[in-house]
Amino acid sequence: MADVVTAEGVVITRGSRVAISASDFSIPAGKITAIIGPNGSGKSTILHAIAGLLSISSGNLSVFNNTPLLSQSQISYVLQYTTVPAGTPLTVMEAVAMARYPGLGLFGRPSKEDKNRVLSAMARLEISHLAKRHLTELSGGQRQRVYVAQGIAQDHAMLLLDEPLTGLDINSAKAIDSIIHDEPVRGCSVVLTTHDLEEARAADHVILTAGRVVGCGKPADVLTTENLTNAYGLGSLHEHETTDLILPTEHHLDDHPH
Amino acid sequence: MEWFLDPFALGFQQRALAGGILAGVMTAVVGTWLVLRGMSFFGDAFVHGIVPGVAAAVVFDINPLIGAAAAALVMVLAIELVNRQTVLSEDTSIGLLFVGMLALGVVIISRLDSYSGSLTTILFGDALGVTAQDLITQAILALIVISAATLLYRPLLALSFNQEKAQLWGLKPQRAHAALLVLIAAAVIGSYQSVGTLLVFGLLVGPPATAALISRTVPRMMLTAALIAVFSVWAGLTLSFHFNTAGSATMAIVPVVLFFIVLTITKLRSKRREMVESRG
Repeated sequence: MADVVTAEGVVITRGSRVAISASDFSIPAGKITAIIGPNGSGKSTILHAIAGLLSISSGNLSVFNNTPLLSQSQISYVLQYTTVPAGTPLTVMEAVAMARYPGLGLFGRPSKEDKNRVLSAMARLEISHLAKRHLTELSGGQRQRVYVAQGIAQDHAMLLLDEPLTGLDINSAKAIDSIIHDEPVRGCSVVLTTHDLEEARAADHVILTAGRVVGCGKPADVLTTENLTNAYGLGSLHEHETTDLILPTEHHLDDHPH
Repeated sequence: MEWFLDPFALGFQQRALAGGILAGVMTAVVGTWLVLRGMSFFGDAFVHGIVPGVAAAVVFDINPLIGAAAAALVMVLAIELVNRQTVLSEDTSIGLLFVGMLALGVVIISRLDSYSGSLTTILFGDALGVTAQDLITQAILALIVISAATLLYRPLLALSFNQEKAQLWGLKPQRAHAALLVLIAAAVIGSYQSVGTLLVFGLLVGPPATAALISRTVPRMMLTAALIAVFSVWAGLTLSFHFNTAGSATMAIVPVVLFFIVLTITKLRSKRREMVESRG
């Protein structure tokens, strides 16, 4: 199957800092791709560049055989942080329905199809019973499910998820994990960032980052002792230690785009 | 009944009410987005930022609306310039322009013989001096502001939700933000004559903040804020008539008092609900 994203010699900067130095990588169509790397290694930066929220400084980044900006209508991106100001009177249903705005423009009335997409997304994330609740009344896990529901309610051919499972309760993690695995069945490509090595190993395709792309390909080929040692700067490890290699899973602000 | 009707028996009193209502409704609609976007400090600075423009208009005898619009433009551009050219946080640039523009306004107006009278009129308004022509101008501005705020509902809601998501949805958040600044400027310029630059902020923030405590959706928040603003104007003018207080200041106090009343009621209700649930 063809690649939906191809990057050649891509350099991405944030202000004066080079977040990703000259790197090549690809993302296959209809598969689950995991981007893994230490904090501040450029995982979110890559997602931002694919979504067209960040411009590349040099190289060539092709998304659906076009520039990221021109492909934005085919991408749905669930951001790592979506902080809705406290006191915003926004219900779960409204928040999910906002995903239909791109097709509706300023004045369009939601069609039956629009409404069905919203209801179906809420049902898939098991949040239908929360439809009339305010976002501020929800737990962190419930809120993350709302944002993923918003992501899948939007028309898309590729779903980007920035650390979708970090710090979630079991029910929320299960609901979101099922979406990650369902989307490729529906013909959609899924790209997610993670700190969890097991989650990366379970993906179809992996990109290992450490300020540059250290490896890109099948998990077994990329997540080798040598690559992981390079990426995480753990020094030389004895072969027997690698089976129990524990990578940091905590969430740090320095990996956030802002 | 007379207690309610007497304050509006004369023409200038009726014009004060009409001007206040127009000001209240347009500031409530725009103020809803201001509160939702957490831009209250910007709003506060903005209403003071027009002071030098109005002061210059008084000194040079030109239309105060033109002076206010020019000052608003200078204010926004200067804040943007400081933001882009320095690493200082936005509230610093807003604060800088806030005090700078207000001071400049006082400096300009101090050249007039009727210094204190003119300054008081600019800062606190002259509700009872609203003319029929003022009302026509206000009505036109109110129509523009309310129509634009309604038409831009989706981009402004998306912007309030998350700027990056708004960009991904193709709703051009920067343009929506610029449009919101224009709407705030129009609402402030269209209202300061009735309630003054200092007190228009009370109507810009008070009714939406109170409405946010009891509204489940943004359109309801806007509607509730507009009703609170209308009530505040009416109650403020009625109270000022009977207690011989400054009309615009009394109008500005009402929504703030209402905020604390509604806050107390909602807190007591939620406490009571918690107690009932814990017993159940």
